[in-house]
Amino acid sequence: MNSLLWPIVVPAVAGFLCLLIPRRVRVVREVLALVATVWTFVVAIQIFRGGEYFLQQDWLQFGSFAVAFDLRAYQFSSFVLMFIGFFGLVVASYSAAYMAKSDVGKRYYTYLLWTVAAASGVVLSDNLMILLMFWEIATILFYLLVTLGGTKQSSAAARKSFTILGFSDCALLLGIVFLWAIGGSLSISHLSVKLGSGFAYITFILCAVGALAKAGAWPVHSWVPAAAEGAPTPVMAFLPASLDKLLGIYLLARLSLDLFIMDRAMGLVLMILGAITIIFAVMMALVQHDLKKLLSFHAVSQVGYMVLGIGTGVPIGIMGGLFHMVNNAIYKTCLFLSAGAVEKRAKTTDLVKLGGLASAMPVTFGVTVIASLSISGVPPFNGFFSKWLIYQSLVSIQQPIFLIAAMFGSALTLASFIKVLYSVFWGERPKKLHGIKEVGFLMAWPMVALALLCVLFGFAAQYPLQKFIGPVVGFNFEGVPEKVSMVNALWSPTLATALMIVGLMVGLIIYLLGRVGRRREARAFIGGEVLDTDQTRVAGTGFYDTIRNLSGFRGVYNDADKGVFDPYFLGGKLGAKLVRALQDLHDGVLSSYLSWSLIGLGILLFLMMM
Amino acid sequence: MNHILPLFVAVPLGTAFIILILAKVWRKAGVPFALLTSICLVIFSVSVIGQASIYRMGNWPPPWGIVLVLDGLSTLLLLTISVISFFALLFSIRYMDRYTAKPKFYALFMLLVAGMNGVVLSGDFFNLFVFLEIASIASYALVAFGCEEEELEASFKYLILSGVASTFILLGIAILYSLTGTLNMADVARTIGNMPANNAVLFAISMFLMGFGLKAALVPFHPWLPDAHPAAPAPISAMLSGVLIKALGMYVLIRLIFNVFGLSPFLSSVLMILGGLSMVVGGLLAIGQDDLKRLLAYSSISQIGYVAVGLALGTPLGIMGGLFHLINHATFKSLLFLSAGAIEYSTDTRKLSKMGGLSNRLPVTTTSAAIGFLSISGIPPLNGFWSKLIIIIALVQAGHYILASVAVLVSFLTILYFMRVQRHLFFGDLPAKLAKITEVPYLMRVSLVLLAIMCLAMGLLYPFLSGTILDPARDVILEGTAYVHRVFGV
Repeated sequence: MNSLLWPIVVPAVAGFLCLLIPRRVRVVREVLALVATVWTFVVAIQIFRGGEYFLQQDWLQFGSFAVAFDLRAYQFSSFVLMFIGFFGLVVASYSAAYMAKSDVGKRYYTYLLWTVAAASGVVLSDNLMILLMFWEIATILFYLLVTLGGTKQSSAAARKSFTILGFSDCALLLGIVFLWAIGGSLSISHLSVKLGSGFAYITFILCAVGALAKAGAWPVHSWVPAAAEGAPTPVMAFLPASLDKLLGIYLLARLSLDLFIMDRAMGLVLMILGAITIIFAVMMALVQHDLKKLLSFHAVSQVGYMVLGIGTGVPIGIMGGLFHMVNNAIYKTCLFLSAGAVEKRAKTTDLVKLGGLASAMPVTFGVTVIASLSISGVPPFNGFFSKWLIYQSLVSIQQPIFLIAAMFGSALTLASFIKVLYSVFWGERPKKLHGIKEVGFLMAWPMVALALLCVLFGFAAQYPLQKFIGPVVGFNFEGVPEKVSMVNALWSPTLATALMIVGLMVGLIIYLLGRVGRRREARAFIGGEVLDTDQTRVAGTGFYDTIRNLSGFRGVYNDADKGVFDPYFLGGKLGAKLVRALQDLHDGVLSSYLSWSLIGLGILLFLMMM
Repeated sequence: MNHILPLFVAVPLGTAFIILILAKVWRKAGVPFALLTSICLVIFSVSVIGQASIYRMGNWPPPWGIVLVLDGLSTLLLLTISVISFFALLFSIRYMDRYTAKPKFYALFMLLVAGMNGVVLSGDFFNLFVFLEIASIASYALVAFGCEEEELEASFKYLILSGVASTFILLGIAILYSLTGTLNMADVARTIGNMPANNAVLFAISMFLMGFGLKAALVPFHPWLPDAHPAAPAPISAMLSGVLIKALGMYVLIRLIFNVFGLSPFLSSVLMILGGLSMVVGGLLAIGQDDLKRLLAYSSISQIGYVAVGLALGTPLGIMGGLFHLINHATFKSLLFLSAGAIEYSTDTRKLSKMGGLSNRLPVTTTSAAIGFLSISGIPPLNGFWSKLIIIIALVQAGHYILASVAVLVSFLTILYFMRVQRHLFFGDLPAKLAKITEVPYLMRVSLVLLAIMCLAMGLLYPFLSGTILDPARDVILEGTAYVHRVFGV
């Protein structure tokens, strides 16, 4: 069998086997899942080291619309494949402990393994239709995984996710068919369409909607926070935090690097989308009271950087975007896993009810600190380097506004993670949470491994850049002078570094502002009565309500809560009106139905006789 | 071999009468006879795959004698009718337990099948009309079979609207007869082909578009369907939505437009507009329904729109997509209506808002319903995905980008109403009233599971289907008025 089939077939078959294994022998299922994911990971590494692989197999032919089962592994796809395998392994191990008591474990592992198979299929396929099929299968599996949450919110979350992703998949389908109409082929490695005509722009936008929705960029982002409310935490860590980012950004990169020859205008659109995503989502994240939901808004916000980086169209920016894709997957998965650890022990993710867990859960605390610093772009962790590349590219193409947006977003990210760290790990511990213990090895090692990767990819950033990402970017958009050479940009101390520090300072100031006037420690004196600590303790979320209540922001936040910025909500309202109008027309009165038919006949006759 | 052709009509017609007569002495005669006939019809229709023949009644050559014409297109329809009616019958054995007058049900069912087979095979306008009426009248009676207020009202509306349509069809036939002096379809085609352009022909075509458009439930001729299809017993809903609107509506429309009149660009765009309207209006209305079967009925309008659009394109790929969607829709829509019937059988309600968490109690029923819905939403690798894809590709190929976008958008609407249904099938709490429900009887489940497997198999076996039944049917449509030569044996 062609080695390209292994990463698809093995997890798929293992998934089927998981369904067959009786419910009670949990261990077999877990071992099987681990073996399958380790196997996928190892094969992916081999494929990566082996260079290019092909598999060509004709399948269906509709006229010149040839759906061929073509697979191709090259630098880019095999490095993404490697990370898919890695995250699969990490999450499978973590879930063994997390889902131990769950009665949906059987289906959970099946869906998990199938998701690995589908994601591998997406990155390996060289035919757009095959890509789309794996893509949609991944969407359905995500829907099924969210439903495993089993609560009322899971149902709503699953519905919302599937609706938004289903819409974007439809857009992608249409985009692919249009792309075939322009380029005359479905083969990804043969297509190269020049943007220029309006039709080509529409095609690109349709395809990009598919990619952006999967990645979770504004305005098709709202399924991510919705899913966070219902899905089991490892599912969040696996799909919206890592795999969906990898897939979405992978497709976006393929679109803008290979499938289309980009121009400045489209690049600018991407950059604007990216900047809005960064700022909007991070502002929302600041005021969240739930750990998972807060993280999910960051999962949206970080996509903005990747889109921004790819939108710049200069090699350094694209490199930054792709590197950020990897880095974000690492630290965001780490953050979700640690949130899961907290949830597992404390039985809640409500920031108001958490606090002071640092001493009880030192490992979780440690990895959260590292991942938080990473996501905030603090040197020397990995997030810093990818953001730095993106800032560099923005400087080089002289786009100060986007630069400011990106850095401001970074500052706010730091501010909001200070909130997380304070609310969960510092401060006074609520009484309920006394006697809490650290999570076990199976849950701890994935977090630690990911945190180590954060450090590794920071200190030795040139390694992944040269090995994984550098070779992918041999490209620049039309009309951009290639004056920014890679070496030059990577290691010269530029404006970006300085602005970076300014960004950090802004974050610190915001943090300090929240604490001004609260530094004096004293017991509250209430006429001699002794209050217990639960009543006097200050939850970390309180500081940030200040932001919410700032004049000018309050209205915006209230609107956001009502869903005014959510196309899902707006579309739903509009659709409901349309449906209502049509329903009112169908009044059930025979004579009006009869008259429609006769009027229809009249129009037909009129047209015919003209 | 062509002596088998009259049997397609004669056998079910005869069975219908035998059942009624035998019922006087053996009350349970309906099931075995109907099932046996249905199996015979499946065997007949499988045996005629790949053949094309003309049967001259009493050896009178056309245009004088009555002819039955078997070709790729009629084979496709015969196969669809017999397979779906077999599953519907299998399902109805236990489902009909709660109704009285079962022999009448099976007799009417057979009459319905006989009428549809007759329409599909007949080679002249007169017989076409007769069989059309046989099938229609049987369906009026079957819609009203429950004899409750809702059923009677629905049936009455259906009767009136469909009766008006039949009248206009008859008027169209009369005009053609006065113009050409013949009722044989091939002869009419030949005569019209030799005549200069004529307003009377256009008038007749308008009559047919309205009449058969109403039978096919194309918007704006659709409003009878959302009343009639939900009111009927589930197996009949499956038959009506699954095959009747296609056999009486879509098939005749296509046969006339392509083989008798010849597709003009104008006719093509009229049909495409009707199809596009149906897709959108049906899809939107389906989202707003609380009644599961009504939702499915609106969705039928939407899906028949796809078929119309695909066929109206007139390109090989478009016709292929339209025909494939036609048989796919027959499969998944009958699956869905039967599942809805099974759910109603267990829960005694069709209101989605009164359901919740059914999947634990009715695992087989809800899973097959989910497969049907995934298929209708166009999720790969189920059959609905491929046929919609082919239609969309064909639209883009022909340069109809906007209609292609509409087709994709409607497939998103389909996902929306699936989301609406799954909320009640799989989630939520089981209402206290439904605490004691159990899975439906074995035979009903068999029918559901087989249909669900068919949905998957037809998706995976597209190349096979295309080679055996779809390509010949497409070629018949593509040959256009060359149909004449085939019938006259030139």
